[in-house]
Amino acid sequence: MDATTVLAEINGNIATVGYGLAAIGPAIGVGIVVGKTIEGVARQPELAGRLQVLMYIGIAFTEALAFIGIATYFIFV
Amino acid sequence: MSTPTPRASSAATGSSARPVFLRILKWGGLLSLAIAVIGGVVGFLVDSERGLVSALVGTAMAILFTGLTAASILVANRFSGTDFFTAIFFAVVMGAWIVKFAIFLVLVFLLRDQPWINPVVMFLCIIAGVLGSLIVDVVVVATSRMSYASDVKLPGE
Repeated sequence: MDATTVLAEINGNIATVGYGLAAIGPAIGVGIVVGKTIEGVARQPELAGRLQVLMYIGIAFTEALAFIGIATYFIFV
Repeated sequence: MSTPTPRASSAATGSSARPVFLRILKWGGLLSLAIAVIGGVVGFLVDSERGLVSALVGTAMAILFTGLTAASILVANRFSGTDFFTAIFFAVVMGAWIVKFAIFLVLVFLLRDQPWINPVVMFLCIIAGVLGSLIVDVVVVATSRMSYASDVKLPGE
């Protein structure tokens, strides 16, 4: 008698799951950055310029994570 | 009696941030040239024309997609002073962001299996471009001169 029994089978590329994981972090990060910027501009509209620049830095670092995560598709088979 | 013409308020527009973003785009462009030259030479030595093309395409992708955020903020600031500026601003910036990632994903899937692409060279050039643009962003913002209350509107203006 066969010792193993297949209960479920998954087909496809596991890299798809990797992309999903790589999207979670930046999504949360950008959500927090943009949300906090809106909050800051609502509290102090005269600071909008400074807050935009700081928001840009936050978005740049967060999206770098996403770019690197997606680009790993080039080297991981 | 002349009625005062409605003037676009400078408050809440972020217009004072414009020079910073223009500098980010300018230095990002210069950095991309440097990475393209160095990456192109290294790529050519590693895998001849295939490596050269991969390095150029990888650098172009990295700088184009990272620079698009600053460009979208500049475009969104053109709507400053309008009633729905905050909504338009975040719609333009976040909309450009999501479209950018969709295009990047499609490009990555399409380019990877092309015979004229060396995936490792391309990957390394994308990493170099992304990290280099981060360094440019931080240096430009750290050395930028912005007053604390940047878009203040004085009484009577």
